[in-house]
Order: sequence, then structure tokens, then C-alpha cells
Amino acid sequence: MLRRALARYPNTAACLGMALGLLILGWIEIVQPGGFDFSDITGGLVTLDTMVRIGILSIVLVGLNLLMGYAGQISLGQAAFYGMGAYASAILTARYSLLGIPVAIAQSWWWPWLAILFGMIAAGGLAYLIGRPILNLRGHYLAMATLGLGIMFYILFRENLGVPGDHITGAFDGITAVPRLRIGGFDLWPISRYYFVVWTVALICLTLALNIVNSRTGRALRAIHGSERASQAAGVDIAHHKVQALVVSAVFASLAGSLYAHFQAAVSPKPFDFAGSLELVVMSAVGGMASIWGAPFGVGVILILKEVLRSGLRQVLRGASGEHEIVFYGVLLVVIMVFMPEGILVWTSAQLKELRGRRAVLPPGLERSP
Amino acid sequence: MSFTALRSPRAWLGPLSVLALIAVVFFLGERMNFGPQQYMQLILDGLRGGTIYALIAMGFVTVFNVTGIINFAQGAFVMLGAMLAVSIYDSSLPLMPAAKLVVAVIGGIAGTTLIGMLLERLTIYPARHSSPLTLIIITVGAYISMQGLALIAWGAKPYVLPAFTTLDIADKTFRIGGVVLKAQSLWIWGTTALVLVGLAYFFERTLTGKALRACAINKRGARLMGISVNRMSLLAFALAAALGAIGGIVVAPTTRPTYDMGLVLGLKGFVAAIIGGLVSSPGAVIGGLLLGILENLAAGVTRSGMKDIYSFIVLILVLLYRPQGILRAGRKPVEAG
Amino acid sequence: MSRRFSALISLLVLAAMLLAACAPSATPEPAQPQPAETEAPAPTEAPAAPAETEPAAQVGSTYKIGFASAITGPGSSLGEPERNTAEMIADQLEAQGGVTGPDGVLHPVEVIIYDTESNPDTAVSVVRRLIEEDEVQVIVAGSLSGNSLAIVPVVTEAEVPYISMASARSIIQNPETGETNKWAFKTPQENLHSARWQALYLENIGVTKVCHLYENTGYGKDTFNQATAAFGEAGLEIVYSDTFERTDTEFGGQMAGVQVAGCNAVVVGAIPPGASNVTVALRDFVPDLPVIHGHGTCNQAFIDLAGPAAEGVVSPCGRLLVVDMLPDDDPQKPVLQKYIQDYSEFTNGEPISTFGGHAWDAMSWAVEALASLDEGMSLQEQRAAIRDYIEGNIKNWPGTGGVFNITPDDHLGLDYEALTFVKVEGGRWVYYPPEQW
Repeated sequence: MLRRALARYPNTAACLGMALGLLILGWIEIVQPGGFDFSDITGGLVTLDTMVRIGILSIVLVGLNLLMGYAGQISLGQAAFYGMGAYASAILTARYSLLGIPVAIAQSWWWPWLAILFGMIAAGGLAYLIGRPILNLRGHYLAMATLGLGIMFYILFRENLGVPGDHITGAFDGITAVPRLRIGGFDLWPISRYYFVVWTVALICLTLALNIVNSRTGRALRAIHGSERASQAAGVDIAHHKVQALVVSAVFASLAGSLYAHFQAAVSPKPFDFAGSLELVVMSAVGGMASIWGAPFGVGVILILKEVLRSGLRQVLRGASGEHEIVFYGVLLVVIMVFMPEGILVWTSAQLKELRGRRAVLPPGLERSP
Repeated sequence: MSFTALRSPRAWLGPLSVLALIAVVFFLGERMNFGPQQYMQLILDGLRGGTIYALIAMGFVTVFNVTGIINFAQGAFVMLGAMLAVSIYDSSLPLMPAAKLVVAVIGGIAGTTLIGMLLERLTIYPARHSSPLTLIIITVGAYISMQGLALIAWGAKPYVLPAFTTLDIADKTFRIGGVVLKAQSLWIWGTTALVLVGLAYFFERTLTGKALRACAINKRGARLMGISVNRMSLLAFALAAALGAIGGIVVAPTTRPTYDMGLVLGLKGFVAAIIGGLVSSPGAVIGGLLLGILENLAAGVTRSGMKDIYSFIVLILVLLYRPQGILRAGRKPVEAG
Repeated sequence: MSRRFSALISLLVLAAMLLAACAPSATPEPAQPQPAETEAPAPTEAPAAPAETEPAAQVGSTYKIGFASAITGPGSSLGEPERNTAEMIADQLEAQGGVTGPDGVLHPVEVIIYDTESNPDTAVSVVRRLIEEDEVQVIVAGSLSGNSLAIVPVVTEAEVPYISMASARSIIQNPETGETNKWAFKTPQENLHSARWQALYLENIGVTKVCHLYENTGYGKDTFNQATAAFGEAGLEIVYSDTFERTDTEFGGQMAGVQVAGCNAVVVGAIPPGASNVTVALRDFVPDLPVIHGHGTCNQAFIDLAGPAAEGVVSPCGRLLVVDMLPDDDPQKPVLQKYIQDYSEFTNGEPISTFGGHAWDAMSWAVEALASLDEGMSLQEQRAAIRDYIEGNIKNWPGTGGVFNITPDDHLGLDYEALTFVKVEGGRWVYYPPEQW
């Protein structure tokens, strides 16, 4: 019965499984059974801070995978939308006096939530406006246009949105004293509480994305990815669906950016520069672009890898420091892309399937030659 | 472009926007009391910076033509050329400074070329059947690794390569009616001119060059003619690395090379390549020069902090309105990959 | 498959070779700490010194100092010397066996070093790790102001004493309310101090109109903001200002602006190589205008990279630069001489930089505060005690950055006299106090 249900609804099952796993991790952190907290069970390699960051970036990645893996539209500037969310939240909650927002409103518990919503609308609106012209471009050209957009936004964040002075975005130093989120009088902080907030949102986004993928829109997107001309001939409104995917990815990125702002409590332009956008693409590629599940997986692999390198590499290679970490990261990226270009998750599951299939179905002598 | 082509309103858009841009520049310059001397200076500076962009852009174009890859590691070649040359020059070779500089320049170019070939064999070749995006990410990874290795080898501190004329950190300066011209600028222009002539000869007159061009025009056709596309890919990377290294070395005396100098120069070179249409070397040169001039004029009459924004606005405008580059006619973007 | 596999192997071998080949050459310092080498110079940490003479009877718990600087990324020219300094102090502590508390118990001290990658996300992550996993007593971190500002809320929440190596005032003081951040301290002098000196000098040479060129970084912007404040007070007018990038190869735009602005002096806010490049350009275009830098240029690298163009440049600088020319009664002189000697020995002659000095001051406060702890306190109590110690006991404390006087209202404890004034003459910085103007 249970097995059949699992086979029938693999995504639901995986969602539930993931939620359960995360719940247990959070429970361990809070209750600390037997004196163990979260990082102890990972041998001190992974901290709750990293888990929260994985959750936040998973939200961005789910959207990015929809755009890149399903609609086939490359974005090398996704950090722009991520940054928009972060700056929208930070400016509205920490620089409210600048905008003439009364203190009573700005300090109420619902104001930050409204700011998050505002950021999402702004990012979505921008994506809608630029969507049509930009998505007319293909392949490398689209990649480059988004790259340009990403860098432009980074410069706008850095240059106070183009206004002389540094009173809006705080230039390089950024905005500090972003408040934590609350619901009524209930603080969603310390970090162990925020962990639940972030992952709840992440799982909701994941479920949404899975539904989109398996809906009419999802089929249309995959058709576009396969061949734009063929899908157009079949009556798919290409431009409409591509813009939709871009808008969804922008809204997700902005939401994640807002959650990031309230987590970090300080927002500065550095995470939203070109390197930031690139890292998002790298995570997407490592996890597997054409897979919603690849999103949390890719983020997890990269962030945990960095964490392990940070604390582990030193023990293996004496005298190793930040420089070696970067080289290792670069080499690993190349290796993964050369040998498993479909992403670790998809590659692994394909290998597993092949192994199982070979054992069960194929008669001897009929295996595919490696 | 014939006169009939100018009848369509769309064709007027380009020239008109250029005129509008010039008007804006003059208007803003007027507010700052700029005279002809200042404009001349800005254009001269722009030509110098633009030449470097052009050299880098040609590297992008060469690799893209033959392999269909946007090589993000191009910036690393620029850095490696400069850093290797500096290292050789600073080493204790028992030579006259001038001879040492020659050795350093040759060594820098040769070393970078080798690294470029190694890069192609180790990363691009095993993944040659992957999607363009995968290949882009591979070159990004390669860039990150090379920059990291450079940081390990040279540290974060800036280095000095002496000016070619004086063999000293201080360069010879010419003053023509208040406009300042550095001797190194002449070296930069001279070298680029030589490189252009050399490339033209290579592509037009030599068998290998022709084979490379054949690959760029039609890969399958080239293969049918018995040209090894794999070897051509290797050659393209070698050429791109050499071009990048030359750019890095000639620009080194005007700046102070560091391990991370490649990123910005690489991105600008890339914008220049796009302005030129991404598939043509002359286009890349003109794109580079235009970008250099525009950037310097715009930065001169407004705030320099926004300098990079202008480059990328230009990038996006070109992509949207003339994705085939500013040189070629035709409207449709080339389908990549 | 097999070809791919062999390519993979060769790639990994290559990477391993490169790593192995480069590791020793690039980071000579941490390879083998030679106890014999580090024993020779007498330790300066005053409270720790007596312990050397009598054998420590008891060995207590290990203290941990968390250290994170921008070893990679755009801040690496700051973060590297800072890291080297931290490693040097770690070695010295190891050679001494640790610090001895007032109760005579010897505590080994471990310095845990991470890289912030010049990125605030990483900075916050590693600081959380230092607080929660490594359970350090005190944190010295942040080469860049943006990163340090992101660290402040974390340490405040966890109530861990934090010493920043970045210069922005807002790290230790809320700019709006003027309240001091209880847990945050910093060691670098401020741009406002620099700007005061610049204003003094400009007034002295009779300049009223100033051009200000600054690097487009957090540091550069701050020099401009502080100059605007300080010059305004002194009645100087900034008639033209513009930014440049660290990686710029052309300065035509800025130079054209300076030429037409009609100013009588140019103030530059930048660090090398940008500072050097712009100085070369200024000498080409406006050879007659005096050039005044800020304390970001206070190292030999600035002169080496600018060449003859640097001649005649003046700048407010920390005393680290001109130790030998200082009067003998200068309280900082012995500290500076010792730091220079130790650092050169430890790094095999790497150039001295003030950034490393900031790390030395910060680490020394941390070590001194650790030495004040009694045995048997909980981690939380130790952290609070260290904070109180730094706030209450760093008085007339000569460091590399100046003579510190920390008070509850001022977690830096320096005024503009922490800097002195210097000039480039014959390819090196020379002491150039107001008497000689």
C-alpha cells in the first residue's frame, strides 16, 4: 500500500521525506537529545547557518532551474533579482525614514512581510517588462544580455541606485540593522526558528515548481526547450510561456533575497555581483538544471563542499588556506561538468537505474557498452 | 550601405542614436568646461584602452568561431601573460634589461599559449560534445582555478613591468598641445597593428589558417575535407591565449598587474566582441576601439563610478537591436551552438 | 569511458601537482614553525612576559582566538598580511606555551584562521562557526568594512567580543543614534583623522580649492565623505571629485576634470596599485599641483609601483612607516621596531604593511585580555570578561596604529594624532612633521 503510494506519487513522497528529514534535524538542534546538536551529528562539518543558507538559495535555484532547465533560457544575471529582494526588504525596513514611512508602521510586525511582497512584485514586474525583448535572444546572446543586466544591477546597488551620496543603499558598506522577522509578538529568531521559516518557504516553492512542471505550462516549457519552432507550430505561445518562466524565477529569487536580508541583518552589494550570479549557475549545473530536485541538491553540494573545504582541507594538506580552496573548487567544477554534465543528481540516478536495469532486465551480452 | 537602405525608419535608428549620444556627451562636457584638448585626451585614452579590449575580443572571436564556445577563461590569459612576463623580467637572468624584456615578452606569450593548449586538452576536449552552457561553465571553472593558482603563485600584490621605451617604471611622455601621449601607447598600437597584419596573413595565406577559417564557416564540411576539427580547436585556444597574453603584456606597463586583473578586462573584451558581432575579427577591433572611446568619454563627462554601467548598457542595446554586430547587415540573431 | 577516465586522472594529478608545487613557495610561513627562531626575540605581551622566567606549574584549559581575514578576493592585499601576522602571533604563543593567567595557570592558546573571501556571507558563516563550533573566547575578523558590518549583529547576538581590522566608524558606533556597539572594537585609524591632517596641511600651504579623486571602493568612498566633512570645517572647497577603479588603465577622464576644475591641490583616497597609477597620471597631466594621499598608501608598495612619480607626495600615515626617523621617546617606537623585525623574519622579508599592523594590535589586545582571565570561568563569562578588559584596560597602550585609549564611548581610542605626516623623498617615505612644513 505504502509502496504503491510512493511509486505513484514520487514527488509528493520525496517532499514529505525531505520535510520529515529537515524536521528531525531542526528537532535535534532545539532539543539536543543526548547532548548532540545539529552540527555534532555531521562531525562539526555542517552548521545550522549553512543549512539556512542552503534553504534560501534553494528558493532561488528552484526558479532558476525552471527558467534554465525547463524553459531552456540561460540567465547569468539571476543575482540581480535576488539582490532586488534583499535591497527592497532592507531599504523598506531599515531606511524607512528616507521614504517618509511613519515609525509606527515601519516597526509593526507585518511591515517586513509587506516589504517582502513588495520586493516580489517589483522583481516580477521588472521581469515581465524586460522579458519579451530579452527572451527573443537565444543561446549565447541571451546569456550575455542577462550577464549585462546582472552587472548593471550590481553597479546600481553599489552606486546608490545612481543617486549621488550613499544614503539609500549605503554603497559598499551596505545597509545594516535589518530587523528580524516576527509574526505578531512571536520572534522568528534565533537561528533555529528561522531555519524552520526558511525551509517551510523553500518546500512550498519546491511544491509549486513541481506543480508547474507537471502542468500545461510545464509541458509547454519543455516543448519550447526541445524545439521552439516545433512548439510554435503546435500552437504554443512561446513568448508568453518564456516570460512566465522568467517572472516566476524572478519572484522566487526576490523572495529568497528578502529572507536573506532578514537572516544576514545586513545587506551589501558583494553577494549580488557577477561572481554571485555565476555561483548560482554553477549550483544549478552541479545539481542538474533539468530537475527541480536538483535545486536544493546543487546548493547543498556546493555550500557543504565549501564548508568541508574550509574546515577539512587544512587537515589533509598542511598550510592549505583560502587560495587552495578556490583552486580546488574550480577544478572540481570542471571535473563535474566534464564527466557529469547533466548534474550530479541526474547522473547518479541514471547510473543507479542503469545498474538496477542491467541486473534485472537485460539478458547477458545485451548491456550497453560503456 | 546604399541609399535605398536608409529609407526604412529602422535604418535611421542607428545613426540617429549615435548623433544623440555625441550631443549628450558634448552637452555634459560643456557643463564641465571641457575644451578640445580634453576631448582629444579622452579619445586618445579611449583608443588605447580600446586596443587592449580589441586584442582580448579577437581571442573570444577566434575561439567562438572554431568551437562555438564563449571562453570565459580568456581574461585569465591576459593576466597570465602579464604575470609570467613580469616574473621572467624580475628573475636573475644574466642579461641586459632590453634583452631580458624581449625574453620576458616571448616567454610570457609562449607560456600562456602552452597553458591555453593544456586547458583545451584537459577541459574542453573531453567535454566537446556537451551543450554550450556546460562548456561555458567549464571555462568559468577553468578561470576560477587559474586565478586561484595565480594567487598562490604570485600573491595578491601588484607587480611592475617597465615601460618598453625607457625600460624603467617611468615612461616617456609626449605633449602635443597639452594632450599627453605615453610612449607605451605607441607600443600598444604598433603591436596590435602587427598582430592584425600577422593574423590576416595567417588566415588568408597559410594552409593552417585557411583550415581554421574553414572550421569556422562549416565544421562538418571542414571535417569532410580532411581537416581535424579537434586539432583546430586546440589551435584556436593557442591563438586566443597568445592574443590574450600579448594584450596583457603590452598593457602591463600602463597599469600594475595583479592576479585578478583578468576578470574586468575579460568582460570588457567580451562586450567588444559582441559589439563587433562575435564572429568577425575586424568587428572585434572596431568594437574594442568604440567601446574604449565611449567608455572614456562617458566617464569623463559624468561620474566614473558608473563607467562600467555604460559598457553593459551598450552591450544590451547592441544585443537587442543589432545582435549581428554593428558591422554586418541583416537582422536575425545567429542561432548559436 | 576509459578515455574520459584517464583524462580525469590526469586532471586530478595535474591539480594535485600544482597544489603541491605551489603550496610551499606561496605560503612559506606556516610550513614548519621553528621554535628556535621564535624564541629569540623577547615577547612583548607584557602580562605574559613574567611567565617565561618561572616554569608554569599548572596547565589550564586551551583558549581559542578566532581569526578571519580576506585572504582571497578583492580584499586580499589587506587580508594576506593580516593572516601572516595572525600566524606569526600563533607561532609566538606556541613557543611560549600560551598565556599565563593572574592565578599562575598556563593556558595554551590556539588561533583558528579562516578566510572571509572578501564576501560578507562567508564572513558571517565563518564567524558563526567560530562562535558555535570552535567556541572561541574572542574574535578578530574582517578586513573590509562591509564584511565587518555584517559580522557585528552576529557577535552582538552571541555576546562575543569582536575586534575588527576595518576602518569604518559604523562598525563600533551606530551612525544614527551615536550609540557604541557594545561588543565591537576596531584597531585601524580612521579616514576622518587622515582628512584632518590633510586639511591642516592644505591650509598651511595656502590652498583653498581642492580636487578629490578616490578609488571606487568602500575605503575610497569613506575618504571622500570624511574629507567633505573635515575640509568643510576648515573652509576648504572641494571643487571637483571623481572616482576611479583599481583596475583602470586610463585616467583621461579624471585628469581632464582636474585640469578644468581649477583646483590648487589634489587629494587622493586610494590604496596601491590604484593610488600609484593615479599618481603617475597626475604627474603626467598636472605636474605642478601638490598631491596629498590618505593613509591607505602608507607602504613601500605605493612608491615601488609609482616610481619617480611618487616623489614629493605627502600623506598622513601611521608611525609604522617611519619608525627609524621617529624621536627616541616616541612610545610606539619599540613596539613598531619589534613588529617589523618579527614580521620580516617570519615571512622571509615580505614587505611590512599597516594592515598587518592592525591585525597585530587586534591580536595583542585579544592575547592580553586572555591573560587576564582567571581559571574556572564559563565560556560566556570569559567572553564578557574579555570585553570588559578591552574596554577598561587598553589605556595608553602603544600599538602599531597609535597609542590607544579605549573608553566605553570610544571603542577605537585614537585621535588624529595617532597618525603622523610623511613625504616621499628619494624613493622612500620620510618623516615630515608640521614643524618642517
